[in-house]
Amino acid sequence: MSDVLHPRPNPIVAAMYTLRDMDAEVIVVHGPAGCGFMVSRRLEDAGVRVVTTGMKENDLIFGAEEKLAETLRLVQDRFSPGLVGVVGTCASMIIGENLDRAVQKAGLKAKVIPVDVHGCSGANTTGAIRALEVAAERGVIPQEEMFRQREMLTRATLLESNRGLTSKEHLSPNYGVTKYSAARRIRDVLATGGRVLVVLNGKKELAYGHADVLRGVQESADALGGEAVYLANLDPGVGLPRIRRYARDILRDLECAGVYLEHITGGLDEYPVAGIRAAEAVSEIDHDLLVACGIVHAIPNLDRKAVLVSDQPREVDNYLRDGFAMVVSEPDIHARVMGASGIVRMELADTLREMAAEGK
Amino acid sequence: MRQIAIYGKGGIGKSTVAANVVASMAESGLRVWYVGCDPKADGSMTLLGGRKMETFLDRMKDGGPGEYEVGLGFRGAMCMEVGGPLAGVGCAGRGIIVALQALKRDHFRDPPDVVLYDVPGDVVCGGFATPVRQGFADEVYVVTSGEYLSLYAANNICRGMRNLGVGVGGLICNSREVMNERDAVASVAGMLGTKMLGFVPRHRSVRDCENAGRTVVEGAPDSEQARAYRELAAAMLSNSSFAVPQPIDPAELRSMLKELTAE
Repeated sequence: MSDVLHPRPNPIVAAMYTLRDMDAEVIVVHGPAGCGFMVSRRLEDAGVRVVTTGMKENDLIFGAEEKLAETLRLVQDRFSPGLVGVVGTCASMIIGENLDRAVQKAGLKAKVIPVDVHGCSGANTTGAIRALEVAAERGVIPQEEMFRQREMLTRATLLESNRGLTSKEHLSPNYGVTKYSAARRIRDVLATGGRVLVVLNGKKELAYGHADVLRGVQESADALGGEAVYLANLDPGVGLPRIRRYARDILRDLECAGVYLEHITGGLDEYPVAGIRAAEAVSEIDHDLLVACGIVHAIPNLDRKAVLVSDQPREVDNYLRDGFAMVVSEPDIHARVMGASGIVRMELADTLREMAAEGK
Repeated sequence: MRQIAIYGKGGIGKSTVAANVVASMAESGLRVWYVGCDPKADGSMTLLGGRKMETFLDRMKDGGPGEYEVGLGFRGAMCMEVGGPLAGVGCAGRGIIVALQALKRDHFRDPPDVVLYDVPGDVVCGGFATPVRQGFADEVYVVTSGEYLSLYAANNICRGMRNLGVGVGGLICNSREVMNERDAVASVAGMLGTKMLGFVPRHRSVRDCENAGRTVVEGAPDSEQARAYRELAAAMLSNSSFAVPQPIDPAELRSMLKELTAE
């Protein structure tokens, strides 16, 4: 029996996101038409073309290597990509499909990263690691970058099993307290001259949404008084080119909003270690209220009175069960940030803005 | 409708035994089906005068016109070969699942007297267990010789049957003329909690008839060998004793064989 009952991302999904991070222009899912359907939609919103070999019953029995090779040829003709990812699924990998051989048969001009993972390969990070390893083998990314990311992903897996999504047998979706309650708590501290410390421990593109909390707090402080201090893992010199771009975009927009960071705790793909650095900084900065957003369970020893902001309703349940009371969910962040090139407005920050406009 | 599955180690002679049992039942006037589940699809050839028939999965793959054409063999025996992928690709187990579901849906509206499933090798995955799932065969026989590896495979198959909760009707000894073979197979059968249902001697008529594209029952109907197959078929039809087997420790099996074959 599984020790974690609730649905969660699998290695196929993680491999697809990682291929996107490496700027694959097309991802071919070798499996049934519905496999990876939801993640494919999101990736297409981010500009990645996702196609499927649409395996059928006959393909399960007789194999579908030729079908994959033909799909790759069609991808070449139709989209002329420079980099293509091929991702296995349960159906294709369990029957032993040889992705490498199909890629060789197709004879594409583009570089191809075949990732032989499926839904039962283990933790979702297994898919990401496999994609990185193949990419490094084929010279798409440097070996050192693969080693660094593999270390981060291993830490992330441990983090999730210790304190995150896989730390409890079952987590139910929970939407936490209202944005109004959380915004009022922040507003009250600022309006009485207090100091709000905001920590962004972002994960890749999700930071485009979570960073709006920093802007909302700053706009409140500008209107109501008090002081706001910010920490964020927005190092623009860490990670793959795409991830660095996310950090640059967000830093640019924060600067425009008058948000200046006290500390940069790491890169946007370093949330397992950036959270530890953030905790160290938090302990050295006086504050009346802590607001943490992003992957907040990566920040150890958080004050149970802190305001937490998460895009994951199951994580909200996790935090509430761990004794936090003021937990807010922004469940539509992921859908809204795909393809973004600047900070995307979120409901908590907009609520703060409305309260700030009303004055003290 | 009696539904019988025959399992056994690869190369032990399952298909020869199965085809001759089907031929024996057919000549006695029963309406019998032979369903070959081996991707090689060669088990029915001796029932069809040496002809290799189109497989169900090949027809399904090619999507040709009309329904799959069942082979009409010796004395009206109906033959079907499931078929499967080329070696090294796809999933033969899945093929068996799909083919048997279609067989049940499209061909057994007017049930025959006996269906005999000839299943390759060990129960290597869920697909190869399909013939003994609910709604298909409820009688299992395991073909073996008195050799260690053959009995070892029979024991493994019995382990699979126990796992599936399926009763085994007995072991069938297809002789390789090893020392004390009859005793060895009967002893192992007893240890497994079943019995030796029949003994098929080794004879060159089997090879000669196969070369001629016939079963022994058809090609050498008056031979002792044909009589052995007929006796086996009769034993199967009259058998009503089935037990979920108790697999044995391979070391125990080896020790028993050593004892029996000691000079």
